[in-house]
Amino acid sequence: MGLTSRGPRPSGPRLADAGAGTAPARRKHRRPHLSLLALVGRPAVVAAGIGLVLAGSGVAGLLMASHRDYTPPRVGPVKPVLAPAGRPQTPVPQTSAHASAPVSLTIPSIGVRSRLIRLGITKSGALQVPATTTVAGWYTGSPRPGAIGSSVIVGHVDSFTGPGIFYRLHLLHPRNLIYVRQKDGRLAVFRVSSVHQYTKRGFPTVKVYGPAPTPQLRLITCGGTFDVQTGHYLSNIVVYATIAS
Amino acid sequence: MNHQAPVRRVLRLLGACALLTGWLAAAAPAALASPATHQATGYLRLAHLSPNTPPVDVYLYSVGNSNAMVVVHHVAYGTVSTYQTVPVGDYTVAMRGAGKPSSSPPVLSTTVKIQAGHAYTVAGVGPAAGLRLAVLNDTLTTPKGRSLVRVIQASLKEKKVTVMDGSKALASNLAFGSVTSYVSVAPGTADIKAAGGTMSTSKSVGLPADTTHTIVVLDDPGHLTIDPLTDAAGSNLLPSGGAATGFGGMAPRPGSSPLPWAAATAFGALVAVAAATRLRGRRRSWKARGSHAR
Repeated sequence: MGLTSRGPRPSGPRLADAGAGTAPARRKHRRPHLSLLALVGRPAVVAAGIGLVLAGSGVAGLLMASHRDYTPPRVGPVKPVLAPAGRPQTPVPQTSAHASAPVSLTIPSIGVRSRLIRLGITKSGALQVPATTTVAGWYTGSPRPGAIGSSVIVGHVDSFTGPGIFYRLHLLHPRNLIYVRQKDGRLAVFRVSSVHQYTKRGFPTVKVYGPAPTPQLRLITCGGTFDVQTGHYLSNIVVYATIAS
Repeated sequence: MNHQAPVRRVLRLLGACALLTGWLAAAAPAALASPATHQATGYLRLAHLSPNTPPVDVYLYSVGNSNAMVVVHHVAYGTVSTYQTVPVGDYTVAMRGAGKPSSSPPVLSTTVKIQAGHAYTVAGVGPAAGLRLAVLNDTLTTPKGRSLVRVIQASLKEKKVTVMDGSKALASNLAFGSVTSYVSVAPGTADIKAAGGTMSTSKSVGLPADTTHTIVVLDDPGHLTIDPLTDAAGSNLLPSGGAATGFGGMAPRPGSSPLPWAAATAFGALVAVAAATRLRGRRRSWKARGSHAR
C-alpha cells in the first residue's frame, strides 16, 4: 500500500528549485530526480526487487544444499569368502524341531562371514538388533537355523560412516547359498528363494516371523530411503531361504 | 491515480509467476514404485499309511497339466515325505503301483486345493481293499506358548487305539484309518503312550512351545510303534514390525532437498525478468513522450 503516495514527491521540486533559476534548467534537473524517487514507487521495480532477492536467496540455498550433500564412502568389490568346509548336515533334520545353536554365518556370493550373536526382543516388542554393525545375530525366540520353522537372522546395512555386515544383502538372488555353522560343528545349508523389500509400516510380520512347516531362514536388514529426520531407513530388506535338500 | 492499482499489479505479477513455477514443478517425475510381486505358495506332504498296501509311486499334477510336477517313487507303508512348497492352486494326487509306467491308470487319485501359507497332508489310508486318499489340513499356528498334537491311527493289527500324553487322552479308541483334530497341550517333553487291545508302546516326544505335531501310530511287524512328526514350528514371540538395522552411513542424501531452493530461484528470476520487461516498455514510452514534448 501507499508506495506511490508516500512523501517524497512534493519535496522533489522544492529541492530542484533551490539549485536552479531558469525554467529550462529546472526541467532538466527535475527529470532524473523524479525518476530516481519514483522508481521506488513503481510496481514493476518493486516486483523486480522482490524477484531478484528471491532468486538470490534461492541460489544461495541451492549452494548451501549442495554443499551439505552427503556422499557415502566408496566400498570396494566383494571380498571373496569361501563356502565353509565340513560335512553338510546330512540328512537334513527336516522332521526335527531340534538343531544345535548357530554360531556363524557365511554367504559366499556377497562376501559375508560373521559370528552370530544372540538377540531378543526390545521393551517395545520390536526385534533387538546387534549393538555393532559388523556382526549379525540370531533371534533366540525363533527356531534354530536348520530346525523346522522360520529362523530369523538380523544385521545392519550400515553404520554412521560405512557399510554394515548386511550391506550387500539386497544383491542376493534366488538359489544363492547361505551357510550356518552350528555349535556341534554341523552345517545347515540354505538356498535363497526370494528377496523382498517392505516398508516398515507395511511389514508383513506373520509372513516373516510366523510358523513354517519346513526349515527356513529369514535374513533381515534395512533398505530403501533413509529418513534424515528420524535417523532410520523407511524399509526393510528380507531374504527368504529354505533348507537346501 | 488509483492507489490500489500498482499493488494489485505487483500481486498479479507475483501470482502469474507462482502459477508458472507451480506448473514447472508439477512436471517433475513421480517417485518410482517397485512392487514386489511374489507368487503365493502353500505346503504339501505325502504319506503312505495303509499297512497291507504295497509301495506306491505318488504323482502330483497341477490341474489341467498332464506332466507331473512332483513324483515320489517307491513310497512304502509308514513313509511321510517332507513338505514340498507348491504354488497356490488346484492339484491332483495320484497313486500307482511302484514301478508302474506314468501312463498307466492310477490306482487312486484325489484333488487338493492349496491355499497360500496353508499346509496339507495327503495320505493313503485304510486297508488295501478299501484304500483311499485322505486330505488333511495341517495347522501351523498354535495358541501362544502351547503345543498342538493330533493322532493318525494307521495300525491294522490294533483296530482301535487309545493315545495318552501322560494322563491326558489325545485319542480314545481311535479307529484304524482315522485322524483326530489337534489338541492343545502344555509344552515340554511328553511321555506318549499308545495302547490297543493287546499291544502297547510308549515314546518320549519333545513338544516345544509354539510347535504342532502329528503322532502316527503304525504297525511294526509284531508290535505297535509311534512316529512323532513335527508339522510346523513358530517363534516364541513374534517381534512387532521390522528391524532398525541401519544408521544411514551408506545412504547418499542431500543435506536438504534442493527442490524448494530451485523453485525459489526460478520464481524469483521469473518475477525479475517479467518486471524488467515491463520497466523497459515503460521507459521507452517515457522517451517517446519526452521527445514529443521537446
